[in-house]
Amino acid sequence: MRRKGPGVFEQELGDLESKLGLTTVEKAVAWAQGHSIWPDTFGLACCAMEMIAIVGSRYDVARFGAEVFRSSPRQADLMIVSGRVSHKMAAPLRQIYDQMLEPKWVIAMGACASSGGMFSNYAVLQGVDKIVPVDVHVPGCPPRPEALLEGIVRLQEKILAGVPPAYEIREVAS
Amino acid sequence: MATTAQGRTRQAPIYVDTRIPSPIPSVLQVDPALREEGDILEVNFGPNHPSTHGVLRLIVELNGERVEGVEAVIGYLHTGFEKNMEQKTWWKAITYPERIDYLSFQINELAFVLAIEKLLGVEPPPKATWMRTLLCELSRIHSHLIWLGTGALELGAISLLWYCFRERDAVLDLFELVTGVRMHTRYFQAGGLAEDIPPGFYTECRKFADMFPGRVDEYEALLDRQAIWLERTKGIGLLSAEDAIALGQSGPVLRASGVDWDLRKVEPYLAYDQVDFDVPVYFNGDVYDRYKVRMDEMRESTRIVQQCLDGMPEGPWIVDDRKIVLPPRHELHTSMESLIHHFKLVTEGYRVPAGEVYVAVESARGELGCYVVSDGGSKPWRVKFRAPSFVALEATATTVRGSLVADLIAILGSLDTVMGDCDR
Amino acid sequence: MPGFASVSEARGETTVIVETARLREAAEFLRDERGFNFLSDIAAADYLGWNERTVAGYWGHRAGRDINLPGSWGLAKKPEPKAKRFSISYQLLAVVSGARVAPRVRVQVWCDDGEPVPSVVSVWPTADWHEREAYDLMGIPFEGHPNLKRILMDDDWEGHPLRKDYPIGGEPVRFSGAE
Repeated sequence: MRRKGPGVFEQELGDLESKLGLTTVEKAVAWAQGHSIWPDTFGLACCAMEMIAIVGSRYDVARFGAEVFRSSPRQADLMIVSGRVSHKMAAPLRQIYDQMLEPKWVIAMGACASSGGMFSNYAVLQGVDKIVPVDVHVPGCPPRPEALLEGIVRLQEKILAGVPPAYEIREVAS
Repeated sequence: MATTAQGRTRQAPIYVDTRIPSPIPSVLQVDPALREEGDILEVNFGPNHPSTHGVLRLIVELNGERVEGVEAVIGYLHTGFEKNMEQKTWWKAITYPERIDYLSFQINELAFVLAIEKLLGVEPPPKATWMRTLLCELSRIHSHLIWLGTGALELGAISLLWYCFRERDAVLDLFELVTGVRMHTRYFQAGGLAEDIPPGFYTECRKFADMFPGRVDEYEALLDRQAIWLERTKGIGLLSAEDAIALGQSGPVLRASGVDWDLRKVEPYLAYDQVDFDVPVYFNGDVYDRYKVRMDEMRESTRIVQQCLDGMPEGPWIVDDRKIVLPPRHELHTSMESLIHHFKLVTEGYRVPAGEVYVAVESARGELGCYVVSDGGSKPWRVKFRAPSFVALEATATTVRGSLVADLIAILGSLDTVMGDCDR
Repeated sequence: MPGFASVSEARGETTVIVETARLREAAEFLRDERGFNFLSDIAAADYLGWNERTVAGYWGHRAGRDINLPGSWGLAKKPEPKAKRFSISYQLLAVVSGARVAPRVRVQVWCDDGEPVPSVVSVWPTADWHEREAYDLMGIPFEGHPNLKRILMDDDWEGHPLRKDYPIGGEPVRFSGAE
């Protein structure tokens, strides 16, 4: 049984950091990558409204480095899948993911992107990690903007610790 | 009814001078002569596009910058709400409608809950009715704020995004104060509200209602006489009153085309017949008029909110019928009947008598209808939502006729479609 | 009224059942002679399995409910079986600018699986997408529709999802503590 609870994430990251033993150059690169993640405008449904809220002045994701949401996937590092993914949308989603350049990360925002949410039916893909490798899942329906910011911050900590993006870990085609 | 020799009827006079394309009303097709000349470029406004308000796909055929053909492809957010709701009990099914139109979410919930109450034959207490009115008007303000923020962003007035989302956070703070959640509040119950209104809400709501009309004036000061805004919205996306009715448009789109039709005045539900508000109607049928209608609606909604705060009655927040409503928790320790009712309601749910109803409410986008068929059991037999955005997209082909690519963005913004509402 | 079969009123709503073959004439009559110029909604419902399980009703009305009335839950019985499998309800509305009344009527036709229903796109252009949705999700073929193809599902999807014999789909829930 895996341990769960607060502090475990930080502990595992600390272990990983000492295990991976990044060089100074790699650390510098990781610092630059982690602090300037630019998301792609991939808003699908209700979660997209909370995603736009983090751009607003109260939650301000720009102070975490996600200064602009790029419309073109070729210029984006992070795809925040915000909303339910229907089977019809799955093909364009994979196409957008393929168009992004490495390194790239995926946050599955909300219950629907993580697991299909409340929609266990014929139309909704039961979790976007069936078609793209996901780095961080953010629970909620919809997650509060603070929760999404927590997800982005955890992703930053993973990158700074040297954890490779999900497609390298899972050894899937990117 | 006049019939010709072949048995076909003459076309009714309302379809003379129509701009609706034929033979397919929702697809604008390129003139064959123009296609012969060549030079038609087919562009895909794919489902992932910053300006299509969600996952809408448009297949646009361009002659230079002019749009000659357009076809809307939807279904990229089809979630199967209606089938999912058939699997859940009536009580649990109320969580689903909110996510259909995720901008004015409480109004969707209201349509379904009113349909259940119509079938059951219960009347919620006055406090619940007035509170529902207040929350629905706040939802309408919320929806129009997001429409204005994103619509202006697409046309270049980028700073409005931040201003509108600042006010949107104020509205969501009010929702969080009442219900505990920012979005998708699940506050309406068959018979009233889920819980009583917490203390402190009235003060905060009044502060918001006093502050908000000044903010609407600020937005209008930024846009109303701005030359670029006027160039991009006046005379664009014309829709006549007859075409609007023929295409089933309702809400701000219909009112901007000169038809004075608002379900809150015509078929009053909740407490709308007891509050005083005006219905803005403009006559040009272009993007600018739809913008003006929604701005005026924001002001009228604030007036309604203030009147609801003034006139909020005291009393219970939910009807007292234990066959459909959970008994209060303190009774479960002492009363056997309450315990049995609680158990039956939670495990099996209440039963709604057989029949079919259609309830229509005025959502921020137009007529939101809920058609419910019950077989008398504890789960809905069929629920169908009449989604105003679904119908609004049918008008794309008519309104886009003769416009440029840049105008296409403005027109889509003015139709105010939400893809969750469209695809359900 | 052409094609009229029956009318019923319940809960303040009028439902007119029309013969399927004469639907277009009835629609034109209602639009031209009775002023129902606005089609709100076309809702198709599948009644497969309607009288298979017993149900009981909650007998209440707006004046209240007498819980002391014996058997006020209603006896458990099966609902009356329907003659045909699908019902298609056309919600009509008479829109007049500035009016303060909203006359509504529901026109209903009944059909079986595969039986074609005349399309009303020539009467109310808004029916275009509503009929495509009814075809896509319920499989009702509309005769005379200029563009009858799938709208919400993928173009190559097989089956009609909202039918009662189509499975709900999805995935069974796995609980992590169960292992």
